[in-house]
Amino acid sequence: MIGIDRRLLQNVDWPLIGTGLGFAVLSGITLSSLHVGRAGGTVAFRQVAWFGIGLVALLIVASIDYKKLVRIAPLIYVLGLAGLMAVFVLGRTVSGARRWIVIGSVSVQPSELFKLAFVLMAVWVLTSRWAQPISRFTLLLVLPVAVIPFVLIMKQPDLGTALLLFPVLLALLVGAGIQLRLLGGLALAGLAALPVAWFVMKEYQRERIFVYLDPFRDPLGTAYNVIQAKIAIGSGQLLGKGVSGATQSRLAFLPERHTDFIFAVFAEMWGFVGCLILLSCYAFVLLRGFDIAASTHEPIGRLVALGATSMLGAQVLINVGMVSGLLPVVGVPLPLMSYGGTSVLCSLMGLGLLVSVRMRQFQ
Amino acid sequence: MNPGRGFDPRLRPQPGRRDPGQRRIIAIAGVITFGFLAIIGQLWYLQVLEGGRFLDASDKNRIRIRPIAAPRGILFDRNELPLVDNRPAFTLSIIPRELDNRDVVLARLATLLGLPYQELVDAVGRVSADSFLPVRIRRGLTMEDVAKVEEWKLELPGVIVEVEPQRAYPTSRFAAHLLGYVREASEDQMKQGRYRRGELVGQTGLERLLDEFLRGRDGGERIEVDAMGRPIRIVQQTEPHPGAQVVTTIDRRIQEVAEKAMEGKAGAVVVMDPRNGDVLALVSTPAFPIDAFTGNIDRAAWVKLIQDPQHPLLNRASQAAYPPGSVFKIILMAAGLQEGSITPMDRVHCPGHFEYGGRTWKDWKKEGHGSVDLRRGIAQSCDVYFYQQGLKIGGTAIAKYAKAFGLGAPTGIDLGTEKFGLIPEPKPRVKGDKKSRPWTGGDTLNMSIGQGAVLVTPIQIARMMSAVANGGVLWKPRLVQRIERPEQGVVFRDPGQVNGHVELSPVVWALIKDGLWAVVNEWGTGGAAKIPGLDVAGKTGTAQIIANSKSEKGEDHAWFAAFAPVKDPQAVVVVLVERGGHGGDAAAPIARKIFNAMFMEKVAMAGSGGMAR
Repeated sequence: MIGIDRRLLQNVDWPLIGTGLGFAVLSGITLSSLHVGRAGGTVAFRQVAWFGIGLVALLIVASIDYKKLVRIAPLIYVLGLAGLMAVFVLGRTVSGARRWIVIGSVSVQPSELFKLAFVLMAVWVLTSRWAQPISRFTLLLVLPVAVIPFVLIMKQPDLGTALLLFPVLLALLVGAGIQLRLLGGLALAGLAALPVAWFVMKEYQRERIFVYLDPFRDPLGTAYNVIQAKIAIGSGQLLGKGVSGATQSRLAFLPERHTDFIFAVFAEMWGFVGCLILLSCYAFVLLRGFDIAASTHEPIGRLVALGATSMLGAQVLINVGMVSGLLPVVGVPLPLMSYGGTSVLCSLMGLGLLVSVRMRQFQ
Repeated sequence: MNPGRGFDPRLRPQPGRRDPGQRRIIAIAGVITFGFLAIIGQLWYLQVLEGGRFLDASDKNRIRIRPIAAPRGILFDRNELPLVDNRPAFTLSIIPRELDNRDVVLARLATLLGLPYQELVDAVGRVSADSFLPVRIRRGLTMEDVAKVEEWKLELPGVIVEVEPQRAYPTSRFAAHLLGYVREASEDQMKQGRYRRGELVGQTGLERLLDEFLRGRDGGERIEVDAMGRPIRIVQQTEPHPGAQVVTTIDRRIQEVAEKAMEGKAGAVVVMDPRNGDVLALVSTPAFPIDAFTGNIDRAAWVKLIQDPQHPLLNRASQAAYPPGSVFKIILMAAGLQEGSITPMDRVHCPGHFEYGGRTWKDWKKEGHGSVDLRRGIAQSCDVYFYQQGLKIGGTAIAKYAKAFGLGAPTGIDLGTEKFGLIPEPKPRVKGDKKSRPWTGGDTLNMSIGQGAVLVTPIQIARMMSAVANGGVLWKPRLVQRIERPEQGVVFRDPGQVNGHVELSPVVWALIKDGLWAVVNEWGTGGAAKIPGLDVAGKTGTAQIIANSKSEKGEDHAWFAAFAPVKDPQAVVVVLVERGGHGGDAAAPIARKIFNAMFMEKVAMAGSGGMAR
């Protein structure tokens, strides 16, 4: 099954892999400056270790023909759903949310792993013969693929990851050639569904929306994060305060500073210039991904590349957007930067899919 | 290669045809790029445009510094009784950065405590508006004021009440010139860079001399606060290091006795141990209310103090020079006997006046002293006797001995600027200098009774008298025995310092001592200082104020300089009463009280007089 011939090796996208691993350095440095609660200084070490594991996973994913992965997508997807449901039974509760399953000494976040399963499954449905041509019927086929996990993830609750599924699905629909008229209809339906979402949302999630609209509504409660993150980012100014000067982050004014709000820490330390460099790294990976998708004429590869890229892009945009105050606060980690083994693993596996598609482009 | 099961062939790439999917992917990339641009725009806004504001917010956010004032070192007397102590006092402070609405808060505060509004504005205006260090507004708040501030706390953001150790004195004017006052660093002192604003600095006396030892190292707390200014936790705490403890040479009991004896009089008292130069007491009256400086002295009170014609801030013991009057006759005895110009047996007839240079020179006793030898001459302070002997000795020799006894030169006492005094001496006339007036016999006569241009300070006389008592050693007056730091032990020790020696033959010393004993004990002018059971030797002086031609009796400065016991001198007492009249009447009784306290009441008084600590 793992068949690698020499022509494939010639087409390995080393710059993409290199950039992906470059994040290990950025993430490690940022985390090492934080003294996070009980985990202490080992956070950075563990993160880098996860990059190591992720690299192995990346290579494995890249070495497998993505078409085979898409073929077994339903199986992966069902396993993923099982994982999501297992959280409710076996899950460990951290600050009110059941998102982790503890296996031995590591906790695994099934919702992270599910992101990849979702991309593969959506591609499987969209490229299946029943889905052709892309029509309302296709939508009926593919929407449950997103809605079922959405409901499960919302129950954890993890609004960020749950909402992430839709932009990715949207990108895949566009890439698969959905008619623009149908897309408009879908947008209208989405708007119509918003009130429903409102009722499904938990009180604190609604509060976050309010806070997004008016951060000073409750400066010590929900808006605290937003204000503190803005202060952290802003106080970094053009060149940043350096590792030792980043008091905002080091003194723990920032909540979730090693996970979802790590961008604020980075911004405080390295300033606007540092942010541009970080964003450039992401832009490079994303543009590379879109380039792979665009230059791949084989439809499954194109959609896999598009799905993996838009999953990464959506996470970056939503995370940085929420930390910098452009979007409401939803729990989405910053791929390859936030502390979290499963997240790093999945992001690198996503890159693995891109590498895999690139390798097999010219067959 | 097999694309896999169930895929529509229409999806297969169609070479040669334009690929519409590519355009769609570029469009998606465009959307993401747009998102990135929006984020970069937001970051530009946050970090570059508003960065300064957020930086400010982050500074305000994180930490508040609460200084903890170090208690000033304590000054002890030689028996380790405290001369000055500390007690906790309330200080009203303002943290400028937390003044949300400066004018309103300051106005409220001014109304609440009845403080001048402008004073508050000035105090806060002197520092940067975003300073997070408390600005001390007023020290020594009453409990009532503290209660008011606490009650209105919510309406007064940025106003806090700190507890600081403050100087506490046994009495309002206790040893004021000796100890010196402590006050907030002046603008000039801050410019020198050694002191911070609001810091208490010893400004005069020992407090100033020993300031670097007495001041401790302030501690502080760095408190992390949340967005509402509520303390979350103490990030860092530095314990204050109290100042060093100073053991002085002062004997508190004697100081108190001397002060009490000088009550209501202007003048100075110096009590010195002739064996080592230890200053046992140093009094200058009128004294200033030393405790009034500790809090905030009103501008009006300060002005009143410095404009007081009595000059209460002046330390008369070392910073004021007076004609020594007949006390100076001790110098003539030493000079005449040692130089062989006079002998003890030489007799002079005193008719009450002396004709010289076409002028009549009066004796203080109109009717005259009759036939006078050295012993009687000194005992009764016969001016005519010393006029004649002075002429024999000559101005040059008198000046030489005066200087040998340390007159006309600073003693080296470490209490601020010391007056030098003046010992005139005959100099060869400088040709062409019209100011240079030839030395005349009249000058010698004036000098012989300690008048004319002769000026001395009480501390100089104390040192001179100590040399008489101890056989010629001029000690630098010692004020500090040792300085101890709690953790380091003794950091400074003053072993005493000899800064001069008077060489006289033992016979001369014996004659002088005998003469001085007679002053007090044998029909002398100093009879008022006589204490049964204690051999006191001394010399009175009545210094006319030449400048004041209207000077009458009762407006002369009264001197008395003495030591006891004669056989084994342990204490020198010098008393000067400004415009007190005759030395024997005004000054000698004060010296008597002090000797009495030192030698006769010693046992009875021991153990009392401690200050509550």
